[in-house]
Amino acid sequence: MLRIAVAKGRLLDAFRALLEQTGCDCRAVAEASRKLVIDLEQAGLRFILAKPADVPTYVEYGAADLGVVGKDVLVECDRNVAELLDLKYGLCRLVVAVPQASGISKVQELDFNSRVASKYPRTAEAFFNSRGIQVEIIPLAGSIELGPMVGLSEAIVDITETGRTLAENGLVVIETIMESTARLIANRISLKTQREAIAALVSALERVI
Amino acid sequence: MRTPRGVKDFLPLDAEWKLALEQKIRSAFRRWGYHEVISPTFEYSDLFAQDSADPRQTYRFFDQNGDLLVLRSDLTTPIARMVATRLKDEAKPLRLSYIANVFRYDEVQVGFQREFYQAGVELFGSSSAAADAEVAALAVTIFNEVGASGFRLDLGHTGYIQGILSECRSETVRDQIWQLLRKKDLVGLKNTAAAADLPMPVKELLLHLPDFRGGEQLLEEAYASAPNELSRQAVANLQEIYGRLLAYGLGPQIEIDLSMAKTLGYYTGMVLEGYVPQVGFTLCSGGRYDLLGLRFDSHLPAVGFALGLERLMLVLELQGLRPQAQTGGILVLPLSWPHALEYAARKRAEGMRVEVDTEGRTETEALAYAQLRRFDRVVVVDAAGVHELPLGEEEGRPC
Repeated sequence: MLRIAVAKGRLLDAFRALLEQTGCDCRAVAEASRKLVIDLEQAGLRFILAKPADVPTYVEYGAADLGVVGKDVLVECDRNVAELLDLKYGLCRLVVAVPQASGISKVQELDFNSRVASKYPRTAEAFFNSRGIQVEIIPLAGSIELGPMVGLSEAIVDITETGRTLAENGLVVIETIMESTARLIANRISLKTQREAIAALVSALERVI
Repeated sequence: MRTPRGVKDFLPLDAEWKLALEQKIRSAFRRWGYHEVISPTFEYSDLFAQDSADPRQTYRFFDQNGDLLVLRSDLTTPIARMVATRLKDEAKPLRLSYIANVFRYDEVQVGFQREFYQAGVELFGSSSAAADAEVAALAVTIFNEVGASGFRLDLGHTGYIQGILSECRSETVRDQIWQLLRKKDLVGLKNTAAAADLPMPVKELLLHLPDFRGGEQLLEEAYASAPNELSRQAVANLQEIYGRLLAYGLGPQIEIDLSMAKTLGYYTGMVLEGYVPQVGFTLCSGGRYDLLGLRFDSHLPAVGFALGLERLMLVLELQGLRPQAQTGGILVLPLSWPHALEYAARKRAEGMRVEVDTEGRTETEALAYAQLRRFDRVVVVDAAGVHELPLGEEEGRPC
């Protein structure tokens, strides 16, 4: 049985839909709302429902053979896992945004007095370093838009799908750091020991992506 | 009292277990003709230059002369130094082994603290496939001898991928693809290969590289589809090594993985990686590194492997092989000291674990203590002789 770690919510629903298209009956995953581990005996899959940022950890340590996670999280976590497939859904952008009122239009206008709030401190720091811009990164766990509103930071680095939430909070995007979609990742040893099962799942998914 | 992040105590039970494992490994090294060496814990920092360790991931400090020193971050480099200098005139090939702690200022990973123990061998002065096969066979044998079940060793070859990549003119793209293979980022590999300046068949080969796992048949196919002489030679070399491993009788535990890309610029031939199913991390790693000696003006080819002891212990524990708490031995109540000590000396000479009570315990107290410390026997020794005290049917003692 392949153990697959997936984050609850958006990515899980879309992944389930994708699996359904390969002919796999995933109703058990839809119905069980509070369970953290769900077995699909027929498909030979065990779902492990985790927090998004924890998915690469489960996979790296081998508690799960596979995982479904956004590229944004994958880059931020920097875990030693294999990346097998771009699932092509869950498209979003990791962006730098500032309050419209600030008048800032380019990241170069941020300086060492600028504070940048983010749930992606590692990626944000690497980005600003690569541009030679010195800023102070403030790691937050969520509701990043709040940062500039309450005077915690001058800018934010966060993901956005449509830009609506940002706009509603008076923020404008001044730079896109990366685009992200959901990825199928694998434990490096499972890739060796569960090769046939993983290859079968990958090619089934490739056909419906 | 806290301990710093990344270090760990081994309490008596685990310390004894670790030493027993080391003893088994050491014995295998010796029986295969390897000689153990001990290198200094710290060296000048320029010894561990560029390739062997990221300088930011080592523990560095100054001595009183202002020289920068470093805690050893691996054993291969100091041993290569010894071979190039003090062992320069020894007859070759030279088979050396080690079991020692190393230090890396890294994020704590599964089974890798910042101080951890490595056991390994280096075979200097031979570039034969027989030497490669011997090192691979020894790796498998050690895991089999310590009782790890299901151990498998993957073999790859640096030259095979280098051959494929030599078809690409841009060095940047070559490095990029190497890193993607090393990270097993197949999505990135697909995108980069698609955009790279490469002949179509080579692109196809690159994209299918991750599927290149198997045995003899895979090697034949890889030989036939190799894009150039460099790749073909690498496959032929692996075929020879694989053939020898079959002769060792280890065929079922060996698998070929041609997609294995390890540290660029360090390994020069066969590479290896060991693991067991159900455990998500590598247990041992190594390969041929003919260029390391050049750092010490030595042209000796070399091949070796290292295993992480803590990872080995973790795997054995997951497989239910961690020893149960059992002290065993004899507790002696000395009613007559001369007789008790004479008895203890005799039993110790036989190799028994003997504790002579130093606290003047009564028989009842001694029995209670013996139960807590899991002694096998309690004896009272007086001038008249040795009397066994009955250790009743105690609860909670593992059989």
